[in-house]
Amino acid sequence: MYEQHGAVVAPDEPVDELTELGPASGGNPDAVAEPVAYAAAGITKSFAGAVALRDVSVTFLPGEIHTLVGENGAGKSTLLRVMAGIHQADAGSLTLGGEPLTHLTPRAAQQRGIYLVPQEPTLMPHLSVVENLFVGILPKGRLPFSIDWRRMRETAGGYFAQLGLKLDPRQKAETLSIAQQQQLECARALVHNCNVIFFDEPTSPLTAHEAQLLFALMRRLRERQFTLGFISHRLDEVLELSDRITVLRDARVAARFDGAEATRDRLVNEMVGHEVKLQRRTARSGGEGGVALAVSGLTRAREFESISFAVAKGEVLGLAGLVGSGRTEIAETIFGLRRADHGTAELEGRKLLMPSPRSCIDRGLIYLSEDRGRNGIFAEVQLAENVTASIVPHLPRRRGLLRPASERALAQEAMDRTRVRTLNQAALIKSLSGGNQQKAMFARWLVTNPKVAIFDEPTRGVDVGAKADIYTLIGGLAESGVAVVVISSELEELTWICDRALAIYEGRVVGELAGEQITVARLGRLIVGER
Amino acid sequence: MATAPSDMHLARSPSPPVDAKAVARLVRQSLARREVQLVVVTLLVFAITTAHDSGFATTGNISFLIADTMAVAIVAIGETIVVLTRGIDLSVAPILGTAALATGFLAQNHGLTPLELLPLALVIGAVMGAGNGVLVAFAGIPPIIATLGTLAVYSGVQGIIANGQEVVTLPPSYFNLGNDDWFSAIPYVGVIGLAVALGFALILWRTRFGRNVYAVGNNAEAARRAGIDVKRVLVIAYVLSGTLAGLGGLVFLAHVGSADSTTGTDSNIQLTAIAATLIGGSTLTGGKGGTIGSYLAAIFLSVALAALVDFRINPIWEPAGVGVLILVAMLADTTTGRPTLRSILTALLERPGGRP
Amino acid sequence: MTAAAGLSRARHLSRDQWWMTALAVLLVAELAYFSVGVQGFWGGGTGMLDQSEYFLDIGVMALGVGFVIFAGDIDLSCGAMASFVGIVMAELWKHGIEIWIAALIAVAIAALIGLIQGLIVTVFRLESLLVTLASQFILGSLATAIGGGYPPYGFPHSFTSIAGTGGIGPVPIQIVSFAVLGWISFLLVHRTAFGRSLVLLGHNRDAARYAGVNVPWTRVRAFILSALFAGLAGVLIAGTYNSVRDDLGDALLLPAITIVVLGGVDIFGGRGHVAGVVFATFVLGFLYQGLLIANVSQLTANMVGGIVLVIALTLKISIEQRQGGAAFAERLRLRFARSGPS
Repeated sequence: MYEQHGAVVAPDEPVDELTELGPASGGNPDAVAEPVAYAAAGITKSFAGAVALRDVSVTFLPGEIHTLVGENGAGKSTLLRVMAGIHQADAGSLTLGGEPLTHLTPRAAQQRGIYLVPQEPTLMPHLSVVENLFVGILPKGRLPFSIDWRRMRETAGGYFAQLGLKLDPRQKAETLSIAQQQQLECARALVHNCNVIFFDEPTSPLTAHEAQLLFALMRRLRERQFTLGFISHRLDEVLELSDRITVLRDARVAARFDGAEATRDRLVNEMVGHEVKLQRRTARSGGEGGVALAVSGLTRAREFESISFAVAKGEVLGLAGLVGSGRTEIAETIFGLRRADHGTAELEGRKLLMPSPRSCIDRGLIYLSEDRGRNGIFAEVQLAENVTASIVPHLPRRRGLLRPASERALAQEAMDRTRVRTLNQAALIKSLSGGNQQKAMFARWLVTNPKVAIFDEPTRGVDVGAKADIYTLIGGLAESGVAVVVISSELEELTWICDRALAIYEGRVVGELAGEQITVARLGRLIVGER
Repeated sequence: MATAPSDMHLARSPSPPVDAKAVARLVRQSLARREVQLVVVTLLVFAITTAHDSGFATTGNISFLIADTMAVAIVAIGETIVVLTRGIDLSVAPILGTAALATGFLAQNHGLTPLELLPLALVIGAVMGAGNGVLVAFAGIPPIIATLGTLAVYSGVQGIIANGQEVVTLPPSYFNLGNDDWFSAIPYVGVIGLAVALGFALILWRTRFGRNVYAVGNNAEAARRAGIDVKRVLVIAYVLSGTLAGLGGLVFLAHVGSADSTTGTDSNIQLTAIAATLIGGSTLTGGKGGTIGSYLAAIFLSVALAALVDFRINPIWEPAGVGVLILVAMLADTTTGRPTLRSILTALLERPGGRP
Repeated sequence: MTAAAGLSRARHLSRDQWWMTALAVLLVAELAYFSVGVQGFWGGGTGMLDQSEYFLDIGVMALGVGFVIFAGDIDLSCGAMASFVGIVMAELWKHGIEIWIAALIAVAIAALIGLIQGLIVTVFRLESLLVTLASQFILGSLATAIGGGYPPYGFPHSFTSIAGTGGIGPVPIQIVSFAVLGWISFLLVHRTAFGRSLVLLGHNRDAARYAGVNVPWTRVRAFILSALFAGLAGVLIAGTYNSVRDDLGDALLLPAITIVVLGGVDIFGGRGHVAGVVFATFVLGFLYQGLLIANVSQLTANMVGGIVLVIALTLKISIEQRQGGAAFAERLRLRFARSGPS
């Protein structure tokens, strides 16, 4: 990872402990920020017909770490984005330190001291580290139009020291690792002299150690009366760090907790809601049907190593792991989107040589991507054509030409099976809710009559009702003899639907659990590298 | 780790390299830069051609080669700014032509000097460029389409201004500007071009506007969220492109000595300018590249094409030469995704049914 | 049917259908204006048919470029290709090959060049703008080199009687060939697996790959088709004018792309309909012809075409922005976040 030119650091050196905070943020010797409360009241926001927030009110107080939790699609990111001026709310108000904020733009928000550290680092790949730090607020030099590069480098050095970062200020941002990019985003918050800082799932790509450094920083900011907002999926982190917790569910506030009184079970209950009664699959047909997919010694440099496992017909195998542990890469390699360096995969006993997505699909192996927006749906295309996208060479034809009516019937049948709720098949798929879109994706893969199905984060961005449908679907598939692999970051989900589960940590299989042994606690320990 | 982190790894001013390995690394890093590559290749071509024909290396010839390409170079510098924002400007040809024509008429009929007409040329370019900027930034039209439209519109404007007339005679000050040189080696226009290249390189490297241009080209959405006024940056970029095309028009007029209703578009100067921009190291996806590279690339093209002529290759092959050079420059740049035979076969021979 | 019911029916029209209706209205208005206001345009109805001879060859080229644009690429070399094919055909004929065989060979060569372009774009991961820009230069030089300063002209009757002045009854050959090729294009894009793959990958190349679409091969086929159609256009042009030229490149390229974009095809790929290209051919073609007959200069006619393009797109984009809202901004964001080819 560090072989690029310009890098100064050897990867094996341990990251130093944090030094004392040096000059305070923005190069300003005044160490303590003006404490200010930031409140959102009655916020409602929709995107193209899908409601993301419904009458949500949350207040962030200074000197606190206030965490938002909730399932995927519950509205957490959207709320922070509205409060940072990236989206405009349809209704509701924002109040900063008692003053109402209207027509907030990202720039105005930053000037008021509000900063959002985004989920995906938004860096300028070809620009240097120091430039990325100061983009938009380059300090003026003495000559008109010029830039004070020296002051930039000194200030940057100060922040890096505070965060324990070892970055060459001149290094191009594209050469940084994901963790380093994330750290750079955090440094930007300080540079912008902001005292309200929101973190949108910052720890997803970080190792445990890097995350601890981040938490130490957050705690110090809290001591200095910064107003901090935090989103995370990892409930252990949430419980460790939070002063107050707000649970969002289905675009509303479901519950509010004090940090001290929250427990894992209570949080999960509120996140999932009591209406859904999910039962552990009782049918255990694992191994009866014979092996459908066998992976042996699969290796890809810097991504995963010596991956070996087998999935039997009718079995549901879970792959648990942190974000960045390599599960998606493994799946994409099996599916032919990436080339393995070593190792093989066999489908029903026959080796998959030089696989491609097309050849895999035609032989009965399918993969549902975790990034539905980018790799799944064709947003501006009608539902029916989205559903038939994987079987284009096999669409019904007469004398070489497609038959739209037959195709629509095919798509409708699949959508009925997956319970896609929509009034109009000719609607563009982007107008559907996240849950319905995902079910349409399931319809797409069902149409191919798969023998092995790999689902990557199948319930991401899906409301609770649709989740239940999807679990039913997965169970039904397994019962009809399909070998199913489910990749998920939600450990609870894996305990509900899997017969067996593998834990992947930093590119290796580190553990296997079966049946009753699959618990959140055990999985949780395995995926962070513990025994 | 006993030492404090602050003085360990923050490379602010590295001590001067004294060992061979560091020098070698420095050389390797320099050669990775497109500007250096261009200078090296230009000199190489020059040397080879001179070996073949010693008359090639006269100072007069060098001066001419540089002067001849300066209009393109200046336009290419403007094009570079736009390309850096991940855009493109196809309308520079008629902008150059209109500026050349308007100033040419005034010079021909009223004897005004280049210096007196310079503001006019710049203003014509700026106004037309502003038109592009508004279409791209405010109407939201993709740059390739917007400038395709303005290419037609501005060509029409040029035709209307020409009104059937041509510029055929100019006061001698123009010829002097466009064709004379210092010490028979350094053309005036060459210096103008260099000044423009350096000036804009400075702006792009060292001013906030310049850094914002790179930011917008790298990731416009992120730039917006970081508080940069993306629309303003885009408009200014297109204004600059137009203004430089206007300046290029004046330089063209001085060097060539004539102008008519199709000046600029008849030689497809926008394509040559784009070629120079690309060969100079800027990428169409934005955020990467520079004006000095474009300037050097324009000179390189001039030298390379003249070398072709010198080797008795029919000048009709010049456009083909440019085309091949574009491809070569782009291939040299693709450091990732180098295709292997296996990947080629897989990509093409794939058939539905699972057989690779 | 009440007005409200009619309106609600209208709202169910797709975006493509809205746009084509607008184009049709524009076409009718334009034809009416020219027929009444400009001498010599109407010509008893057949006048218009004859006028179309002059722009339908560009229409054929637009259909060809359309394939590539549906895929999210672009082909800047189509004009130069048409010139090139004309010249090759003429030279082969001059060297004794029967004219129609010469035409066939020339078009086949064009398809081969299209294949090569497509391979360079997909295998070496270069932007199609660059590759086709380069090939435009190269083809221009080749055309000049092969044809020399004085390309052959005066083709035999067997050629001009079909490719130039031929037709079916009063309908000129240009209309016939445009209609046939338009129909074929429609079938290819909207009724074949190839076309479906093409449109899908134009919408979202990554998602197409994940769905098993053979992205490289589909893109290559689009380039082959574009070159093929450009070659056919070149043959048509040779027939219509009974001569060939080596420098038609840009005169043809810009109107062709204008037609495609005016026709509602998204320059980024995916969206649009072949029928839109057909409509836009007539809209723009008659616009130019009407202006030319009214004694407006070529440059001014082009200028009007540019203005129409800009206004049409501004309207289209502002309407879409109003409808799409955040989703539209999100789409633009994804577009600009995509870092380069494949």
